[in-house]
Amino acid sequence: MKKFVKHIVYFLALGLILGEIIARFFFLTSSIPERRIDEFGIQRYIPNQEGYSKGGTHKWYINSKGWPGKLPENYDNLITIIGDSFIENFMNPDSCHQMNFLKELAPEFNFTEASRSGVSFIEALEISKQLDSLKPKVHLIYINETDFEESIVQINSLTDITQLDLKKNKIVYGKMKAPGVKKILYNWKFIFYLYRRFQSSFKLPKPTKSTEITQNSFTNHFDYFEDLIDYCRKNYNLKKVVIVLRPDTDKQFSAFLQRQDLNVIQLDDSRDADWSFEHDHHWTCYGHQKAAEQVSEYLK
Amino acid sequence: MLFNSLEFFIFLPIVFVVYWFITNRWLRLQNGFIVLSSYVFYGWWDWRFLSLIAFSTLVDFSIGILLNKEEREKRRRSLLWLSLIVNLGFLGIFKYYNFFVDSFVDAFSFFGREIDGRSLDIILPVGISFYTFQTLSYTIDVYKRKLKPTSDFVAFAAFVCFFPQLVAGPIERATNLLPQFFSKRNFSYNLAIDGLRQVAWGLFKKIVIADNCAKYVNLIFADYQEFNSGTLLLGAFFFAFQIYGDFSGYSDIAIGISRLFGFDLKQNFAFPYFSRDIAEFWRRWHISLSTWFRDYLYIPLGGSRGGTAMKVRNTFIIFVVSGFWHGANWTFIVWGTLNALYFLPLLLAKRNRLNTDIVASDRWYPNLKESLQILATFFLTLIAWVFFRAKSVSVGFDYIVKMFSMQFFQSPIKDFDISILFLLLVFILIEWMGRKSKYAIEGISTLPGYFRWSFYFGLIILIFTFTGEQQEFIYFQF
Repeated sequence: MKKFVKHIVYFLALGLILGEIIARFFFLTSSIPERRIDEFGIQRYIPNQEGYSKGGTHKWYINSKGWPGKLPENYDNLITIIGDSFIENFMNPDSCHQMNFLKELAPEFNFTEASRSGVSFIEALEISKQLDSLKPKVHLIYINETDFEESIVQINSLTDITQLDLKKNKIVYGKMKAPGVKKILYNWKFIFYLYRRFQSSFKLPKPTKSTEITQNSFTNHFDYFEDLIDYCRKNYNLKKVVIVLRPDTDKQFSAFLQRQDLNVIQLDDSRDADWSFEHDHHWTCYGHQKAAEQVSEYLK
Repeated sequence: MLFNSLEFFIFLPIVFVVYWFITNRWLRLQNGFIVLSSYVFYGWWDWRFLSLIAFSTLVDFSIGILLNKEEREKRRRSLLWLSLIVNLGFLGIFKYYNFFVDSFVDAFSFFGREIDGRSLDIILPVGISFYTFQTLSYTIDVYKRKLKPTSDFVAFAAFVCFFPQLVAGPIERATNLLPQFFSKRNFSYNLAIDGLRQVAWGLFKKIVIADNCAKYVNLIFADYQEFNSGTLLLGAFFFAFQIYGDFSGYSDIAIGISRLFGFDLKQNFAFPYFSRDIAEFWRRWHISLSTWFRDYLYIPLGGSRGGTAMKVRNTFIIFVVSGFWHGANWTFIVWGTLNALYFLPLLLAKRNRLNTDIVASDRWYPNLKESLQILATFFLTLIAWVFFRAKSVSVGFDYIVKMFSMQFFQSPIKDFDISILFLLLVFILIEWMGRKSKYAIEGISTLPGYFRWSFYFGLIILIFTFTGEQQEFIYFQF
């Protein structure tokens, strides 16, 4: 038994070392920037970091404000772009950020981005509030219905995401979830690679009876959404906010927002498969360009 | 719990440590721990169905004891029937009830009478066909006085629910597995290393071969009307390797894990795609089920001892029942019937035991005759697999008709990744080289350490690299 355990330990240790070398040499995972919670309770990245994308095809940068992407040359006629991992866009080169495509298409404006993966709608509005000091003309907020659901404690309480408690009428700021473990995981490239590689397949759906039908849950939440919008009207300048709905947004949700008299752009990918990566629902450079074209049409 | 899931990779080391380091001194405790961990393993999927296994265990244990005490033949037969009714009753309700109801409704509808058949809204308990057959083998052997019943309930419960082979076999005979629960297990380094090697090979078969073939199989069978005959042939070819990689991979993992715990399970697959005729194929494919049907159905029916009519009848019965065992669908019955039709000419010409040795056992490669025989046998099984995979019998026929149409190069499949063909080629070569062993890479143990470790790391890298969308083991649904 001793010999067996010894050999297993040697094998695993050698495997981990070999795996780590391979993971780092071939950039099997992208590097993940470190976060902090700022003085307003918003999670943002520690400024001036840089790292590699998956495959090492390009680098990403965190600017001096703690957001991915470059800062504009000047802040006149400014439009802010706020969103989650779609806008954060670590999977594409720097040139494929929304702000770059929009600047090309609408040169009369300047653009700046403020994005972080996992941002909810209410958190995006909180960020927009901070950015109001730059006197932007418009805040473009890129979301879909999930970001609305994640904004409300009563629908799904998520401690790591900034949410609105509708009962208390109060913002509950997100907390960092296991930062120590995450730091180890992000730096142990091989383990992080395994985690990302098999994350989605850890759980298989359990067999269901033939009569069990799954329904879109958000359609039951329109009352909550109305309360959220009422709160937002009172606490944020929604006139300045344009909600850019991703192409995968449910049509019922899109219609609901239009009925609320909000500024909405519904992006349309016309089932163009090139919009997104094959094994990742995030947009490709092509998808970002197409999105920017549709947004610039609206801005004009 | 799936063998290729994260939960299992956590579960297995914990069970291994507790089994060898804590419970090893007391056999009863160790058997009890096997029962507990097996119930956790099974209950992870749905704990409610544990009651079925527990009830089945209790019934067969009690009947075994009563059979031993009872001398009157009539009473003994009644006890056997009770066991058959309970075990096959559960199987009938959970697996076949809806099939019979729907078939009756369809049959009446065909003759213009509409009847109201009420299907049950039930889930098929994972592995019910496997553990039912395993417990039945115990009762039948005790009834036939081939086996003395056990009075050790814990050992019997461990035999019924032994987690490595609980949900998808191999279907172990009580005569082989049960006695292993009565003697103290001693850890063997060689056995454990051999077990791990077989587990790695099983995972390779499942994750790299089967799951990557499944991607194209699902695509092609879902829209078979859109594809040309070449693509449909490729779809059937991939399914042949999907089902082989999936099921024999599961068996390899099950046997390998059992070795880690000091148990020796029977070989379930013996390189069936290198068979030279269908009879040889059935001696090499799902051996534990084929031999079960042979011993508990074919031979009691008279086997091949009677006249031609009896041989034909028995052959059809065994193949059709075997098909039906796989699932409550006419497609499986057609699959079984087709195999009976393949097998029958060999049986009638008394050529069914012509190829009992290993093909080209003294040579590197087969001769022309053997190659043609292997290809012809593979092709026949491939046609039958179409029905096994098709949604319905009519779809199966339609698929085959299209497969033989003349549009060989029209509208080929898009985004085809050629690497799967390369992987299959490597896989077939390794299987060929290892065909004399119990599993393909068993012989690697005689090679130098640096080669072995490089091979293992290579295998693991391939598993990580080619891990596709996780698919359930096909045989779970049976």
